[in-house]
Amino acid sequence: MNKSLQFDPYNLIITGVGGQGNVMASRVLGNMFSMNGYTVTIGETFGASQRGGSVMSHLRISSDACYSPQIAKGQAHLIVALEPTEALRVLANYGNQDVKVLCNNRPIYAVGVISGELNYPEQARIHEWIGELSSQCWFLDATDEALKQMRHPIYGNIILLGALAATETIPIAREDFKSIIADSVPADKLDINMKAYDMGMDMIS
Amino acid sequence: MSGLISGKKGSRRLLMGNEAIARGALEAGVKVAAGYPGTPSSEIVENLAKVAEAGNLYVEWSTNEKIAMEVAAAASFARLRSICVVKQNGINVASDFLLHLAGSGTRGGMLVIPCDDPGALSSINEGDTRHFARLLEIPLVEPGDFQEAKDMTKWALELSEELQCVIMMRSVTRLSHASGNVTLGDLPVTDVKAEFRHEGFPLDPNEGIITSAPVAFRHSQQQEKLKKATAAFESSPFNTYTGPEKPEVLIVTSSACNLYSREAINILKAEERVGILKLGTTWPLPEKLIENRLQKCDSILVVEEVIPFMEENLKILAQELEPKIGRKIFYGKRDGSIPSVDEMNPDLVIAPLAKLLGIEYQAMSEEYATNAMQKSFFAAPVRDLTFCPGCPHRASFWSINNVLKLDNNRGFVCGDIGCYTMATLPTGFSTLKTLHSMGSGTGVASGFGKLTQFGMNQSVVTVCGDSTFFHSVIPALVNAVHHKSDITLVVLDNSGTAMTGFQSHPGLEVDASGGDAVKLDIESICISMGAVVKKCNPFDFEKTQQLLFELLEIKEGVKVLILEQICALSPEKKAKKNFEMSVDESRCKGESCGCNRLCTRIFRCPGLVWHEESGISRIDEAICAGCGVCSAICPVGAISRKEVAYE
Amino acid sequence: MEILGTKELMEQVRDKGLCVSCGACVEICPYHKSYKGKIALVFDCDMTPCQCYAYCPQTETDRDLLSRTMFGTMDKGEALGQYRSIIAAKAGSKIKSNRFQNGGTVSALFTHALDSGLIDAAVLTGQNDDLPEPMLIENACDVASCATTKYMATPTLAAVHKAIRDGRKNLGVAGTACQVKALATIKANPLGKAEQENSIGLSLGLFCTWSLDTRKFSAFLAGETGGEKIVSMDVPPPPAETFKIKTENEEREFPLKEIRKMIPRGCACCPDMTAEWADVSVGAYEGKPGWNTLIIRSEKGEQWVEEAIADDYLVRDEFPRSRLEHLTLGADNKRKKAEEFLTKEKK
Repeated sequence: MNKSLQFDPYNLIITGVGGQGNVMASRVLGNMFSMNGYTVTIGETFGASQRGGSVMSHLRISSDACYSPQIAKGQAHLIVALEPTEALRVLANYGNQDVKVLCNNRPIYAVGVISGELNYPEQARIHEWIGELSSQCWFLDATDEALKQMRHPIYGNIILLGALAATETIPIAREDFKSIIADSVPADKLDINMKAYDMGMDMIS
Repeated sequence: MSGLISGKKGSRRLLMGNEAIARGALEAGVKVAAGYPGTPSSEIVENLAKVAEAGNLYVEWSTNEKIAMEVAAAASFARLRSICVVKQNGINVASDFLLHLAGSGTRGGMLVIPCDDPGALSSINEGDTRHFARLLEIPLVEPGDFQEAKDMTKWALELSEELQCVIMMRSVTRLSHASGNVTLGDLPVTDVKAEFRHEGFPLDPNEGIITSAPVAFRHSQQQEKLKKATAAFESSPFNTYTGPEKPEVLIVTSSACNLYSREAINILKAEERVGILKLGTTWPLPEKLIENRLQKCDSILVVEEVIPFMEENLKILAQELEPKIGRKIFYGKRDGSIPSVDEMNPDLVIAPLAKLLGIEYQAMSEEYATNAMQKSFFAAPVRDLTFCPGCPHRASFWSINNVLKLDNNRGFVCGDIGCYTMATLPTGFSTLKTLHSMGSGTGVASGFGKLTQFGMNQSVVTVCGDSTFFHSVIPALVNAVHHKSDITLVVLDNSGTAMTGFQSHPGLEVDASGGDAVKLDIESICISMGAVVKKCNPFDFEKTQQLLFELLEIKEGVKVLILEQICALSPEKKAKKNFEMSVDESRCKGESCGCNRLCTRIFRCPGLVWHEESGISRIDEAICAGCGVCSAICPVGAISRKEVAYE
Repeated sequence: MEILGTKELMEQVRDKGLCVSCGACVEICPYHKSYKGKIALVFDCDMTPCQCYAYCPQTETDRDLLSRTMFGTMDKGEALGQYRSIIAAKAGSKIKSNRFQNGGTVSALFTHALDSGLIDAAVLTGQNDDLPEPMLIENACDVASCATTKYMATPTLAAVHKAIRDGRKNLGVAGTACQVKALATIKANPLGKAEQENSIGLSLGLFCTWSLDTRKFSAFLAGETGGEKIVSMDVPPPPAETFKIKTENEEREFPLKEIRKMIPRGCACCPDMTAEWADVSVGAYEGKPGWNTLIIRSEKGEQWVEEAIADDYLVRDEFPRSRLEHLTLGADNKRKKAEEFLTKEKK
């Protein structure tokens, strides 16, 4: 893990919907960089917004300074989307030609979609648009695989972290993940988390 | 945070602003912490409550913010260090006591910590508590990053103890709920004994009585303390300047805006042209320090959130200093450079700064921005806030709406703060028609209920949560009962302060730290007041509506309906389905006349999904909480429920 | 004629205060509900066309459709509606009860219809506490419990819809002009609903000059009688201009002027005194106490009456020409008043 950041600060946005485990994912990632001496700032929205609303975490990773908990418009380097349409929402505000996107395919329908008032776009269309608005993007069935292999959707986030490592966009080491996750989950859950992480790594090739 | 106590001196951690403040309180040897839950403040008390036993602290969720303030003050009077933590609304609630506390002075160091919510991310106001510091005449400090959040807590507690004056340390959502790196300090080994000395000369601040009278005497003492605070502020480590000696533009800022300002300068690559005077002590202003900086620059951009508090104070100061430093031009809220509503962000600093510096700045290429905006508009569905699957509030408002509509005399509901606030939205069938502060629904209803003499005959219903009931509904209910106001109060009792994360309240058997507490019974309280009280499970529509009709029939005095059903997200309840739900697809009427998608279009539980192609509703197993309620709303009985057997 | 939806029903009828609480829109969907004599929309519905709009007697009427449905002919537009004959009638020897408003013709006809199997069940207006309530009657012996006039709007059609939803067919229903108009519309089944096929067997219209707002009138009764049980209510023939209420202990009279204040606006625009869209219509026989006026309109109605007479449920007498003129005059008056009201409304 000697690779340095491609940008300083490196601006990463984790986006999703309330209840998807967004905050947890940003903490794990933040802690992995923090333990390696980086200065990390995470801006989050939660509270009422968790009740079905969009939730975003802004991560700023720097070798020296503490940055704003909000990334400026158009300044994201990498977007990790736990929900595909949320990636597009974030791109509209923070995207640019060079941004990269790692995206989970599992949709979470807004209540307006459930009620039939709004439409949810087809996956192919979402992929096409995200591709158009980014320099590089990866899509994976993280939640579906988590449900299949681990029987719980929350491991989709860990799969995404593993996949994130494999994209080599930011320097992430498996051992760092292991030490951070070991601190935050019960001992008997470590293996399944590592399995999810490795699965994620294998899904990016 | 794991390791709030175990974290060693010198170790570096990624802490949420609120965790940093909690750690700072521990490092300062705080012994008592009290508060009332409210986003974005709750994690401070929550984290301290977790280590209360290990750290020998007393931590409580008080009944309301005023009482929290009084509880924390008592600790100070007994020479302990204490903090009181509230969200911005809480300062309003506690302000009466605070005004007297400012006059009486304190003994052990005491901080009032309001966490403001500019932009109202989790509030229905964006009140700016800084003004209270000026109104109350107490010192105001504001951390500018995460390390400061911890360090300032300790520093301000020490200063409070030295001045014998309560100090306000204000945080905001983007610090409290953001995380950054913090290097930990030492945890003191303290062995203080609580003791209230009152036998000395009455006016003796250490041995006498603690009160704000005689007013002129105490008030002048208080203003002396402010002068001492100002002197201490002149050399405070939390007031910093970064930038060239003589900048073209001087940004004066504080709190999270400090970070936005730095970002703006960084993005505009204007480090050589712009200086930042970051103030950690924002009232009273450190005059000499400011004079020194103003002398070197004529264009001042004041970057702060919501109301032009610093801007106005700076302008007063600049006016006084004009003979010495010359005329300054201020840019900020008053001239429209910075908006005075909603939260700030780096872009809102970049815009006026770029203009002042004559820099052309475009965040995104026009082509990209238009393209991305269009795609996002078409693809990303608006995510309306909604009651969770299995939420008892959805059921309660379903019944309230039905009864009021059938009662058919334009009845309405007065509400207040809680998850049920969302009943102003379609998720609660837009049933709430007035919405203000905690407990205000009942107070406002009490007033409406007395307007019959002016011809008003609409049914008046009010709702409150269980925690809110204790917080401030009780006095309003007393008022309504006493004046025979014709109202019906519906208590939405979901067994916890659900919205902010299930903190304890007086209606529960546990306290903040999980210890035993005395449970107060809402039903008995209402009965003892003389109200007609009924109670039932809101998941039982028939019973709920029947009781509500009965209560509305009683035309004089206060009626109370307690709807008891635990929050679907509560730790006890979470993920436990009472019923397996299923839709009989052959019976579902879908979009045809006679149903028109009642369950997905109106009831709108996220667990029910409209399946467009087949024209029927379905249950989303992954989301459905198994409450069983929707089976009762289907007009053709197509939704059925099967009880889940648990061992 | 276009059948619209809930939104238009609200705009054209309910929001204008023209709802007569007949219940035609209730129990067919979860949106319109009736409570204590008033009908409310509990949630918005954006659908069109809707049964609620189609069945409502206060939306625009397709008179030809109703006429074809009930009588197999085009509409003729006469004051008394179409009819085959008019007779005087009263309950016959088969009917034991004597608690009738007038001649007991309504009870007699329904008792016969149930006994003979002409209908499978009846929806009549009974009483629940102090409010009138539509009831599903399956046994002839229960018909008597629904005798006497209530003078209050009753959501009779709600009970009809509920019975249909529960799978019942061939119902006999008694109702006022607005209600039988809704019944005729249901019979016409303009939206082609399968459940409405053969749902209505026989309809009996009750003469009606007005009905009273249920909530206002029940509050008035409660106030005036102090909760005493009401035995009967009556409007004696002109020129009395009074309203009689008989309780168990006393009989009281109120000026009709006072009572009329409680007439809902919806009744003011009704032109139909004799319930023209029924199989048969029944009213008082002014000047012949103990007898009813019975208008026989449809072929089915005629068969019903003839059988009832043949089996001694009903006794007939002649209805003289002078009475017919009198009746026509009354019906004409109501029609004119309704026209005046509607002209004023339009301004």
